[in-house]
Amino acid sequence: MFNSISNNFGAPQIQFKDYQAPNYVVLNGKVTFDPTNAAYQACDQLEITVPDLTIDRSTIGGVFVRFVETQHYSWGDSIYDGGTVLKSWIKDKNTIVVEKQPWFDQNGPLILYFVTMYAQLNQGANTIKGAKQRLTVTSEDNYLRFSSDTFIVVFDHWVFMHLQFSSCAYAHRDSPWEATFEELPADIMADVPVPGGGNQFHQDCFGMGECHLENKIFTMDRRVAGFWDTGREPFAFAFLVREGEGSIQTDTD
Amino acid sequence: MIALPSIAFEGFSGSAKGVTARRVGGRNILSVKAWPTGPTTNAQVARRTSMSKISKSWKLLTNEQMREWDRLAEHASSASVLGQKTEISGMNLYIRLNVNRAMAGEALLSTAPESNVAVPNVVFTQVAVTPDLVVLGGVQHEPSPLKLVVKMSASQSAGVSNGWSKTVIITPGMEDDWGEADVTELYLKTIGVEPVVGQKVFIEAYWLDTSTGFAGIECRETVIVTGDAPYQRRVKATMNNLDPTEESHVSELDVDFSTGAPVAQFNAQCLGHSNVASSEVYLDQQLPAGIVGTGMAIGRSNDDAGHINAQSYLVYMYNRNGKSQLTFAHRGGTYYTHTEVFGTGIIY
Repeated sequence: MFNSISNNFGAPQIQFKDYQAPNYVVLNGKVTFDPTNAAYQACDQLEITVPDLTIDRSTIGGVFVRFVETQHYSWGDSIYDGGTVLKSWIKDKNTIVVEKQPWFDQNGPLILYFVTMYAQLNQGANTIKGAKQRLTVTSEDNYLRFSSDTFIVVFDHWVFMHLQFSSCAYAHRDSPWEATFEELPADIMADVPVPGGGNQFHQDCFGMGECHLENKIFTMDRRVAGFWDTGREPFAFAFLVREGEGSIQTDTD
Repeated sequence: MIALPSIAFEGFSGSAKGVTARRVGGRNILSVKAWPTGPTTNAQVARRTSMSKISKSWKLLTNEQMREWDRLAEHASSASVLGQKTEISGMNLYIRLNVNRAMAGEALLSTAPESNVAVPNVVFTQVAVTPDLVVLGGVQHEPSPLKLVVKMSASQSAGVSNGWSKTVIITPGMEDDWGEADVTELYLKTIGVEPVVGQKVFIEAYWLDTSTGFAGIECRETVIVTGDAPYQRRVKATMNNLDPTEESHVSELDVDFSTGAPVAQFNAQCLGHSNVASSEVYLDQQLPAGIVGTGMAIGRSNDDAGHINAQSYLVYMYNRNGKSQLTFAHRGGTYYTHTEVFGTGIIY
């Protein structure tokens, strides 16, 4: 775990959960910032200054950006949160960069989610294959279901997770969700963005929600109005650091 | 070439009967007139044209700008061929730095750089030259604005010990690709013929600071061309690896498996096809069995309609009949045919 030193886009200090191998870095963090602030307006790319990382540059990774939007109607509130994935990379030992895109500048405040692996190339060895594990999801009366492409790949210090939502019993469509991810290590705790779902007010990016993982329990309280729209396929894609990590490692996983 | 201390040659300059005399930095120098040793390359013609234009542009500078170049020249030095430091004029420094910048595709620099910051030496650990591969490996990366300049000779007799005058610029300023400078195509394009097995190639490399035009000291290496190189090429799937007999559905492709980590690096501009939510890529050779599996990567729509939504993609890999197939199969998010799949992706 470490804190950012500064940034050039007017965001508060960011706390990162990290796993740092000699040839790659996994970072988890979440920060909210106002895109109308002068620092953001002036910058060409978002730069976060951090204490020394184990690597001094990286290839591209994905960082998610999300805005929160609620429309109030006579019959109640409807949620139209949206967002997408941005390119991010480590520029040098002390700088994490996120590409700046103007797409959501009018929809702030914006939330950045780092559920990201930063790797290096030409490391003298090929990709090391992991072992996929299907996630067994249990919920009350099995009301929440995920597709067969819902899985994890577990390593000693971090986990890759892909979720693909499938269906929900009608009675639970508007209630907070809670389910147990049986194979997920209990030492994962993170807020994870959930892109997808329809969004009638943002047809360019569609929806994006957020779920929380803690002690194998998945919870998701806020979902876009069109979460189950046909073809919008809500999902999650995340590299997640296991609890207790944070020290710089000397060996690869 | 000889430097004469005698005052008898004070002010003597010019060429006569194959001998050239000139006065540099307070010294008189006589040298045998140099003649080109080979045909003029296109790059040389371009460089001479560029130099001529830059020379003429000196007169367009303001007096203040000229004074700044003179000031910088007082602190800069130029190594003579005798290895001694000699003086350089502001105009010559202006020309030299701008020729370097022009070579790297940079615009004319009218205002002198603030100072002469030392440019690091090139450090690399491997050189491999075969008829099919010309590469510097283990290049110690230097960040922008430094660019790598590589000069090489055509194949010379293995007995030639000094072929440095025969080197020409292969690349006027490239970035190393994660410690690798693969100049195979550039060598063939510039020299015109493949390296010849058993012969010697002379290589010079230096870093060029493209912001100022200052260059570092040349690192020199000779290598005997071999039939096969022990150099291990990175495992990648790129547009250059596409099987021309098959239809692939990408406009850009760079999947790199050299991470030494549980991920590959994906970069593909998927185009989709036939109303199927996937894009297929066919490679002209097999991927190593050890990495063939299934990947998962993130994507972002980038079609003409302005969609920018996130997607996830499974990447199936197959080896068949000496070739490989990659299938980028849409999973999460709204599918659009034109999607950029990028970033680190797990492989299992």
